[in-house]
Amino acid sequence: MSVAHKTTPRTPHDIDVSQLPDYSFESRSPLWWGIVGLMTVEGTVVATLIASFFYLQGNHAVWPPSGTTPPDLMLPILSTFVLMLSMVPVYLTDRAFKRGNAKPLATLPILSIALALVFLGIKAYEYALHVDFRWDSHAYGSMVWLMIGFHSTHVIAVILKTLVVIILARQGYFTPDKRIAVTVNGLYWYFVAAAWIPLFMTIYLGSRIWNE
Amino acid sequence: MSMHPPHSSAIPDPAYDAETRQLEQTWASPPGFFAWFTHVNQTNIGMRFIVTGFVFFLLGVILALLMRWQLAVPENTVMGPELYNQIFSMHGITMMFLFAIPVMEGVAVYIIPLMLGTRDMTFPRLNAFGYWIYLIAGIMMYIALFLNIAPDAGWFSYPPLAGAAFSPGLGLDFYTTVITFMEISALVAAIELIATIFKCKVPGMSLNRMPIFVWSILVMSFMIVFALPPLVIASLMLALDRMAGMQFFTAASGDPVLWQHLFWFFGHPEVYIIFIPALGMISSIIITFTQRPIFGYIPIVLSIVSIGFIGFGLWVHHMFTAGLPQLGANFFTASSAMIAIPSGVQIFCWIATLWGSKPRMDTPMLYVMGFFLIFIIGGLSGVMVASVPFDMQAHDTYFVVAHFHYVLVGGALFPLIGGVHYWYPKFTGRMMSERLGKWTFWVTFIGFNLTFFPMHQLGLQGMPRRVYTYIDGLGWNQLNLFVSLSAVILALGFVMTLLNALISLKRGKSAGDNPWNADTLEWATSSPPPSYNFRHIRIVDSRYPLWSGTGGLEQNAVVHGIRSDRREILLTSILESHPEARQPLPGPSPWPFWLAVAVALTFAGMMLHLAIPLIGFLLCFAAITGWIWPRSGRAAA
Ligand code: HEM
Ligand SMILES: [Cu+2]
Repeated sequence: MSVAHKTTPRTPHDIDVSQLPDYSFESRSPLWWGIVGLMTVEGTVVATLIASFFYLQGNHAVWPPSGTTPPDLMLPILSTFVLMLSMVPVYLTDRAFKRGNAKPLATLPILSIALALVFLGIKAYEYALHVDFRWDSHAYGSMVWLMIGFHSTHVIAVILKTLVVIILARQGYFTPDKRIAVTVNGLYWYFVAAAWIPLFMTIYLGSRIWNE
Repeated sequence: MSMHPPHSSAIPDPAYDAETRQLEQTWASPPGFFAWFTHVNQTNIGMRFIVTGFVFFLLGVILALLMRWQLAVPENTVMGPELYNQIFSMHGITMMFLFAIPVMEGVAVYIIPLMLGTRDMTFPRLNAFGYWIYLIAGIMMYIALFLNIAPDAGWFSYPPLAGAAFSPGLGLDFYTTVITFMEISALVAAIELIATIFKCKVPGMSLNRMPIFVWSILVMSFMIVFALPPLVIASLMLALDRMAGMQFFTAASGDPVLWQHLFWFFGHPEVYIIFIPALGMISSIIITFTQRPIFGYIPIVLSIVSIGFIGFGLWVHHMFTAGLPQLGANFFTASSAMIAIPSGVQIFCWIATLWGSKPRMDTPMLYVMGFFLIFIIGGLSGVMVASVPFDMQAHDTYFVVAHFHYVLVGGALFPLIGGVHYWYPKFTGRMMSERLGKWTFWVTFIGFNLTFFPMHQLGLQGMPRRVYTYIDGLGWNQLNLFVSLSAVILALGFVMTLLNALISLKRGKSAGDNPWNADTLEWATSSPPPSYNFRHIRIVDSRYPLWSGTGGLEQNAVVHGIRSDRREILLTSILESHPEARQPLPGPSPWPFWLAVAVALTFAGMMLHLAIPLIGFLLCFAAITGWIWPRSGRAAA
């Protein structure tokens, strides 16, 4: 068993990968697959929540149960709009970085965080003062509060994660070959924002269509 | 069986000694007690999953023996109903949550990177994190049992029984909170296995050359990704029902049947999550012990994939007695029968492979044969309970207990024990005793049938499951005593396997790299594998890389240029496995452990106070930040 030296391949079929990059982007990167896996798992959770909501609705003659009014539409539409808007700075940062400009990374996502905080603020206001049911009032209340709680936790998590990205960016950590970390953080931001849409429709519209 | 002369990659190679040393240094797991909590290498973590899984298995067996002791004679007083309920619940929970899934994952984590010809998995620290989560969860459940406050509403904990009104104590709080976070372990392992299988196949191992075991693990991982989230959220909902007064499953406003749907949407696929890796092990063993390529590689792969799909369509058959609409029940009866088709295809291909070969009848192969017999009986009784009218009668009797032990023990445990015998030489560098192995097989096989076959009869005679005792004069006495004594024989069989494994650690024959003359890459490195798995990464050119050509793999071209002065693996394309990039990997780290502690605190803390999860959330974030914070400019994963 004789083996040639690493720089002088023994057979013409040997290959030398030392020239390949030691980083990779998008679907070539394991990290990308990891985050897609995470999003699939969480997407399944969202689907389970929504299925449970409608399953319980099917058991009820009136839904929400009588004496409960479905939450108002104004505030949630406003907050949804804010959350969707929060994706824009994330997208712009990512696009700039893809073109080789890492500068916005240290500043632009702050805008997204601010918008997400507004979203959370509206949610907190809405559920502290503007709904007439609690999580333990009935199954409807439990479902709505769980969905809101689940989603808000994710918004907080993605805010915190993005803060870490910003701090690292300020320390000059993100050289172009580390872009995948930013891309993946962005993907997760889109996911958290997008997951809100079906939840929004379930909570606010699903509560209405049934009883018309 | 023809044997190639055993070639060892441990033969010193003067030109490369320096680089070998470098690899050893780079990939070493630091010694010492505290350092043990920082290890991340896939062989370390995989082995911990396997060993821990079997420890829980033995605990589960002990619980089973206690149950059978109590049931050996009518109106026995070994234990009262409260304890019996905890014990049968913990037996089910242990076997399904703490043993079956983790041990299959453990084998996968250990073997898959070796089979793919790579040096580690894509997210080594995530791997370690999954292990710590699992260990903490298991220990918590057993602490509850020793404090006599274990869950006692069965392994599937149906509300309203499992709700706050009927199960006030801490027992079900343990169940709900621990199950919720414990499944994170299986989920991260699944994601990581998928990413590794997609991106880390050695050059030349295109998708259509992937070993069948790898296919089975891929399908298992996908099933985990879709089946476990509903369980996680359902147990969280049950926890909230119990602790925060929420009403998902209450009879007053929610619906207890919703729990059944969510639970079985996980619970039925879970059987396949355990079963599919077992199928992969069987294929590996049959290929090796017949020394032939498998008959019908493509049909086998397709049937594994379709079992994965069909596995999701069947959950309602666990709920026939819950009073569902007739049409729905018919649909689920039909799809329960459909699973027979892909299972049949596989069995046909295995028989065709075995046909006319003279398989080497060593212990692993014996367990495969045992699987065939047991599984056929389990399948037959399964067809019986899959029909709604019969299920109405047999439901909740010992007939069902007999049926699912035939399926689980025959379908998963026998192949698994076969697999352990098969890979033991790779794990340890030594062979298990063949003579003791054969004896053990027969003790286990006979003990198993003597224990569980009579349970069919007990069930037909009307003995319900989950009763802590029964009165004299129902005609069940003799069979129960017989079953209990047989259970001792069965347990003896397991203990003999354990002893064989322990004794062979020191006394076993030295195995060499490839003692069975097997075909897959894990046998192309020394036993046990070095911390870096392979000294040379060699391009493969066939489905059976170690059998191709005249000299096997040693002739194949080598991949140069993967760095050895830091942990690094090669990434390749999903379909064709063309080299695409190199990927630096992180080394030992304490953060996976701390994150697992924080996660456990977040969920289990709910039991003490509903504010603790908030603190836990922040601790988790702190641990994650510590985890991803770059050290010396390295990327994080
Ligand atoms: C020594 C081997 C074993 C023996 C003697 C044994 C015995 C039993 C018995 C007697 C019961 C019924 C308890 C009752 O209904 O009162 C039971 C339940 C169960 N067993 Fe086993 N078992 C063994 C191994 C296994 C294995 C290997 C698995 C899974 C991989 C398993 C999974 C289960 C499950 C899920 C239940 C249902 C628990 C429940 O009702 O919630 N068992 N076992
Ligand atoms: Cu099933």
